[in-house]
Amino acid sequence: MENGVYSFALKNTLIEIQRICPDVKNAFVFREDGEIVAGDENTTQETVVRAIDAIDGMLEKGEATGGVENIVFEGNKGRLNVSHINDFYLVTVTSKGADTNYVNTVTHVLVPTVLKLLEKINPAPLKTNLDNVQTEPEDLAIKHAVEPLEELAEEVETLEDEELVETGAKPESEGESIVPEAPVNQFIVENIGGLLVSGDTVRIDNDILLQWNELYEDRKIEEAEIETFGGKSTRCKLKAIKDSKYEGKGIIQMPEKIQNALGIRKGELVRVKPVIE
Amino acid sequence: MVKKKKTLQETSAIAGPIVVGETISGDDLRARLEEIKSCQGVIGYILRNANTASIDLDDPAKIIDYAVLSSLAFDVSRDFSQLFDLGELENAIFCGKNIKMLSITIGQNRISIFTEKDTDLEKILMKLHTS
Repeated sequence: MENGVYSFALKNTLIEIQRICPDVKNAFVFREDGEIVAGDENTTQETVVRAIDAIDGMLEKGEATGGVENIVFEGNKGRLNVSHINDFYLVTVTSKGADTNYVNTVTHVLVPTVLKLLEKINPAPLKTNLDNVQTEPEDLAIKHAVEPLEELAEEVETLEDEELVETGAKPESEGESIVPEAPVNQFIVENIGGLLVSGDTVRIDNDILLQWNELYEDRKIEEAEIETFGGKSTRCKLKAIKDSKYEGKGIIQMPEKIQNALGIRKGELVRVKPVIE
Repeated sequence: MVKKKKTLQETSAIAGPIVVGETISGDDLRARLEEIKSCQGVIGYILRNANTASIDLDDPAKIIDYAVLSSLAFDVSRDFSQLFDLGELENAIFCGKNIKMLSITIGQNRISIFTEKDTDLEKILMKLHTS
């Protein structure tokens, strides 16, 4: 999910850069390992992938010669700039007449500032969230394994139960104590539409659904609670993303009806947690 | 009037792009590169065309690294030109943490000039253009 937050923030930064500098025709950011982090709305993912493929070898060789700071390709119609910022590469394509000093100033101030902010905010990554949650039942399982060995403790428990029965008090629910707290994930809203799309169902990565199902083996997860950063929340049905192009990107496909109800739109960030019943 | 002439002189002094397809003999080009090679901060150059290749680098141990980097710069330029409609390559500038590389095409010749990090490539480009 960390990627989702980076992606969301950087995508908006790139869009803002294009608003400030209309000469920037394309812009995208990728990690040193080649993973795409964010791209503007004009640049297709296919183009970004091909561009990264193209420059990958040069960046590797550049690292072998001491490291890359910046690469500029100047053509008679436009200019492409690759800048190494922290662990990321920022690529901007500008038209021929663009004021490169202005573009460079804007990009080299905005992007590092956003990256620095993101590092400071450092939202809890998805994997860490799930790992933390998953350790809880394991810890409990260890406790339960030790308990039978402690005969004395068992006797005390039995006595306590008997006392409760006598007094009519309800014992603590056995099931509740081993249900881990529902993990909260962040997703970027993406539109979903079509005749067969149910208006009350959102779609998220199948991997996340599988992780949740693993976490709550004996329970069926059919609904999720969605909360906006503005504080609005709703409960809706949950299904796996069908379209492979949205998989693994931290996206939640959401019908317009739900988006309107939450007062959000495509590109915004929401918190989602499974409803455990 | 005088002021106007000065402006024109200044304009002509600004390093413009090398015109692709510019007719220049191989010997002339090599002579220009030799002159550039003697400038402070210039580490060496690689000149390639369809038939020959000349390499003059201070550190022979890095010939392969630099030759690959140079070759990649031209390949990547071609790919980017197609992907992003950049037109014909005028130059590519690689700024590394230790070195800089200026790659340009003049006619059939592909040239990469390697310099130390703080070298002004505009001056190199100007020398190549106006020698």
